[in-house]
Amino acid sequence: MTVEEQQRLWDLVQNPPPGSKIEAAKEYGVDLTLNLRALKQTPTERAEAMEAALEFVEELRKAALARR
Amino acid sequence: MKKKLARLLNVLSDAKVSFVVVGGYAATLQGSTYLTQDLDICYERTSENLQRLAGALAPLHPRLRGAPDGMPFVLDQHTLKQGMNFTLETDAGDLDLLGELSGVGGYSNLHKSADSVELEGRSYRVASLEELIRSKRAAGRRKDLNVLPELEALQELNEKAPKKNP
Repeated sequence: MTVEEQQRLWDLVQNPPPGSKIEAAKEYGVDLTLNLRALKQTPTERAEAMEAALEFVEELRKAALARR
Repeated sequence: MKKKLARLLNVLSDAKVSFVVVGGYAATLQGSTYLTQDLDICYERTSENLQRLAGALAPLHPRLRGAPDGMPFVLDQHTLKQGMNFTLETDAGDLDLLGELSGVGGYSNLHKSADSVELEGRSYRVASLEELIRSKRAAGRRKDLNVLPELEALQELNEKAPKKNP
């Protein structure tokens, strides 16, 4: 994705058109800056990031259980 | 980094199983940031494919997720033919096999509109955002409806930017 395309998406997220799905998602509480970062990544990078986050959550869960 | 779900995809790909990636993992590949713990696939229900699927999973010791220890279960072509959806635990992670997807239908419907996505050098068919949205809406459960705003915003963002893989 070129810097110009990134800028266009950034502008859309910062100032979504009234009535748009982007505006609705922001109002719902979705942090679309996370999605903007994901869209800059390749699908492989997206999958790796998700699995790393999942692994982190699993480590937290194990640590919490160990403290009981 | 352990990449268990990606390993499951590799196993299915190596065995030439016909399937489309759906659910949360598909949403991740399309740019969603929700976490998912399992891999959901919609698989083709031809006899040949059921045989390939059962053969691919056998070395990963598939068992019914959440079932009592020791409950007899063999995932073979016959079992797959008798059922439609299976929630499995395997040595490479949790795997949901779906014969049909709410609001979308089976493999043949889904395959037509799926996106080709490069993942670790291999190409996979992944449900399009449009079909993911359709299926979540049709499922209608709170957990499905909760992800709709993000998926719909992603679809709108994609429309504003050229689609690159995807």
